[in-house]
Amino acid sequence: MLKKKWGFSVLASVLLLSTVLTGCGGDDNTKTITFWTPLTGDDGAYMDQLVKDYNATNPEIKVKHVITADMYTKISTVLSSGKGVPDLSIIHADRVPGYVKQGVLEPMTDVIAAQPELKQDNYLPQAWSTGTIDNVQYSVPLDIHANVMYYNKDLLAKYGVESFLDDNVVTIDEMLSLQGKLDEGDYVVNDALLGWVILAQIQNLGGDIQQDGKPAVNTPVMKQAFEEVKKVNDAGLMTPFGEDGYLMFQSGNVLFSTDGTWSSTAHAGVEGLNFGVTNVYSTSADKFTNRGSSHLFAMLKNEDRSEEKVAGIGQFLEFIRANSMEWAKAGQIVASKQVNESPEYKNYMQSFFTSDEKETQSLYIYTYEYYPYIAEAVDTYCGDIVRGNVDIDETLQTMQKFVEDKIAESAGAAQ
Amino acid sequence: MSNQMAEQVNKSPLINNSKAKKGSSISISKYISYLFLLILCVIWIVPVVFGITTSFRSQTEVVSSGFRLFPKEWIFDNYVTILENTSTAPILRWLVNSLYIASLHTFLVVVVISITGYGYSRMNFKGRDTLFFTLMGISFFPGVVNLIPSYKIIDSLGWVNSAWAMIIPGLAGMGNIFLVRQFMRGIPKDLDESAHVDGAGHFRIYWSIIMPLVRPVLIVCALFSFTGSWNDFLWPVIVFTDVDKMPVTAGLLLLQDIYGNYRMIGQLMGSAILAIIPTLVIFLFAQKYFTQSINLNSGIKG
Amino acid sequence: MKKKMSLAPAFFVGPHIILFLIFILLPTIYGIYASFTKWNLMSDPTWVGLDNYRTILFDGTSTFHTQFTNGLKNTLLFVLFTVPVLIVLPLLIAVALEHKKVKGKGLIQAVLYVPGLISISAGALIWLLLFNKQLGFVGNLFNSDVSWPANQPYAWIIIIVITVWGGVGGNLIIYRASISGVAQDLYESASIDGAGPIRRFASITLPSIRFPLIYTFVMTTAGAFNVFGQPLMMTDGGPRQSTHVLMMYIRQLAFGNGESIAGMASAMAVLLGIVILIISALQYYVMNRNAA
Repeated sequence: MLKKKWGFSVLASVLLLSTVLTGCGGDDNTKTITFWTPLTGDDGAYMDQLVKDYNATNPEIKVKHVITADMYTKISTVLSSGKGVPDLSIIHADRVPGYVKQGVLEPMTDVIAAQPELKQDNYLPQAWSTGTIDNVQYSVPLDIHANVMYYNKDLLAKYGVESFLDDNVVTIDEMLSLQGKLDEGDYVVNDALLGWVILAQIQNLGGDIQQDGKPAVNTPVMKQAFEEVKKVNDAGLMTPFGEDGYLMFQSGNVLFSTDGTWSSTAHAGVEGLNFGVTNVYSTSADKFTNRGSSHLFAMLKNEDRSEEKVAGIGQFLEFIRANSMEWAKAGQIVASKQVNESPEYKNYMQSFFTSDEKETQSLYIYTYEYYPYIAEAVDTYCGDIVRGNVDIDETLQTMQKFVEDKIAESAGAAQ
Repeated sequence: MSNQMAEQVNKSPLINNSKAKKGSSISISKYISYLFLLILCVIWIVPVVFGITTSFRSQTEVVSSGFRLFPKEWIFDNYVTILENTSTAPILRWLVNSLYIASLHTFLVVVVISITGYGYSRMNFKGRDTLFFTLMGISFFPGVVNLIPSYKIIDSLGWVNSAWAMIIPGLAGMGNIFLVRQFMRGIPKDLDESAHVDGAGHFRIYWSIIMPLVRPVLIVCALFSFTGSWNDFLWPVIVFTDVDKMPVTAGLLLLQDIYGNYRMIGQLMGSAILAIIPTLVIFLFAQKYFTQSINLNSGIKG
Repeated sequence: MKKKMSLAPAFFVGPHIILFLIFILLPTIYGIYASFTKWNLMSDPTWVGLDNYRTILFDGTSTFHTQFTNGLKNTLLFVLFTVPVLIVLPLLIAVALEHKKVKGKGLIQAVLYVPGLISISAGALIWLLLFNKQLGFVGNLFNSDVSWPANQPYAWIIIIVITVWGGVGGNLIIYRASISGVAQDLYESASIDGAGPIRRFASITLPSIRFPLIYTFVMTTAGAFNVFGQPLMMTDGGPRQSTHVLMMYIRQLAFGNGESIAGMASAMAVLLGIVILIISALQYYVMNRNAA
């Protein structure tokens, strides 16, 4: 009996306490810019710092940074209910064409008009133009985050192949030259972001994923891209299927890891891992591509967004353009030239990718409107193709059909 | 802590073996029971221990080859990192929010399911079972795509960004009611029939006869509801925008990295461990009660 | 007596029905409606009649047909592999724990229950590390040279292992709570009568938990049909999509990258719902008849 009472009183006091705690709060929505980002983890903390720095300049309208773990689903819910749409958000490059077509993005025209420095010349051009559709600008870029290749310096020395890096491009032939020369348990390359690597080879081979607006998956170029990468696997040089190649690189058993710019901080956290970064391996010595996406500031359609807020957004974006060095800490390639051309930026490993014109051009962002479906198809099937588990021709047909079926089902809904 | 647990489990058969020298059939069956439980416990606890110890490992050690159940060097950085990040992550606030949401939800669940379960098992009304099975059947439709309409309903009730969005909708679930109904069906009919004859109304029978008898299962349901509400992260991510109002599981998602959350393995383990401590404590507290043996004649035995 | 009861049922089951109508029926009706439309989750759905169902069920060349059949097949396999274990194993444990002389019941129960509390992402990571060739004990202690997530039948095995590991505790405590309802006197008098453990199980334990047993059977099966976290985390559906379950396809269609194909996803969800409905109705019918 006593216990029962005790239980109830605990419950009661918890409820009371929490009601008191949750009872307060409430914002003046007209005086703040609600800013949604999908930046969880450390990235969110860096962005938080940037927002704090901006608010410390005492702007008329302050920015409220809201990190959401499942932002795109959340965007769907608020757009469909029409309430609670954020004033500003960060979206990924591949979302732009779809959102524009569905008419849910507001052009940045007014924002840009008020802020003369928010223009293509001040940013990495491909990051800026990924938001340009029919000559209308829908976004302002924050960064490019690309698929890059880390290398283990000690292993390169061990096998005497530092020369691979001489021309800044490691070719598949160079990697194949190591066949039979590695100790047991060592591998030349892992399969991190394998789908991204395949899509980079498409560029290296001079192909594309679309033809006249139609998806082009089942193509000779795609087949060649797969076959080239498959050679590495067939020679026993790729980390085994199903093994965590990313961790194996951190364990110091893999010469090259094809993961993202954002992994540099994690790799740096591993003691004794002596690593550097270079371009993703290529089919030829003449061309290399680092497939990327981009974080973009964009405004979802929201009728309640006042002119003052739009002006405030412009000020905020201009502040970011001039002050986003903080964002380099996240490992990303900052899009603003003022930042990525400054001497301080050179301290960051990813500055390699803006170090010269050829590097800058190697950062490639796909802007085809149905790119997400193609990427999904490639990600779903690339492992089995490269590992030789499936017939390549048949699977390419399946992938082509996969993309076409999805496009057919989505197009009608958008009308 | 878990190490001790494992040891205790390991030791106990020996202690008891020496004690029991009664009937041989009892000791054989006991021996088999022990062996069976022992093997299971070891298989079950090793991953848990490994998870806990991994939260005390540096990334360097996580990726170094070879299997070690315990870290070479215990480090606390993972927890420090998780708890330090208080600007974006008011973890204590989240815990309070979760406690409020889960407790109130659980309390209401127990009220709703016991009353409703009674209605569907001990009362007679026309179409009772048809109604029950219809509701049950409807609830079997996977609710994945129902996210949008559910959100619209919450929105029109004005519950976006409010704890009610997590407390109330779950009360509509059929699972626990089904369980309670099944338990109540197992109680002999003559118990309440004789009470009816004595003039007791439904509420009296529910409260003073049936409720005490189904207490163990209500505690189990309470446990499931509390854990379920505590661990839910898909829904709160959608309905909460304010960091300050989030429950802890949704909040912890904000600490994980977007690019596959295994970048920092120790940290992921650390946050998972932190998140289960409260539910574990509740379980340890509750398990005393749901296995209490009940005698139909003399009430709760203890 | 009958007259008095006319309003009482409304009081007992009414409040829940109102909650059910608002929070389950309404969204479900919308979900079923969506299955007859093309819908991207954002703009209004466009009515297409039975097109989605026709594509999924009869258009053999369609990706959605292939996804549905492959997903359903794998889901059924998952149900077959895990449900019997999730029913029988906890029952055996509960019986073993009922043994009067077994000490540390609470501790054993806690050990078996804890995995169910751990989030699926953390649990999957733990098991993947344990099964890792280089870092885990499976490779190091047993000298296994297989990459588990990428080869069958190992891919299924690790999915089953993590499911059983995380799922046994819940059913176990339901059985424990039911058995505790059985008067100890019954066991004692049965022991004195010389009834062995098997007899005691068959004549006392089993009858006493027959109703909860129906519950665990039906609900564990329904839950298994909704699986997606374990295969997603452990194998990502591979190798060659042989562990790609239906719910994974449904979620990819509705919430994948690219524009949502939620109408098709809804149709698949409705079909899955019908399968669950039929199977659970059969289970209930058969078991309830035997239990009555």
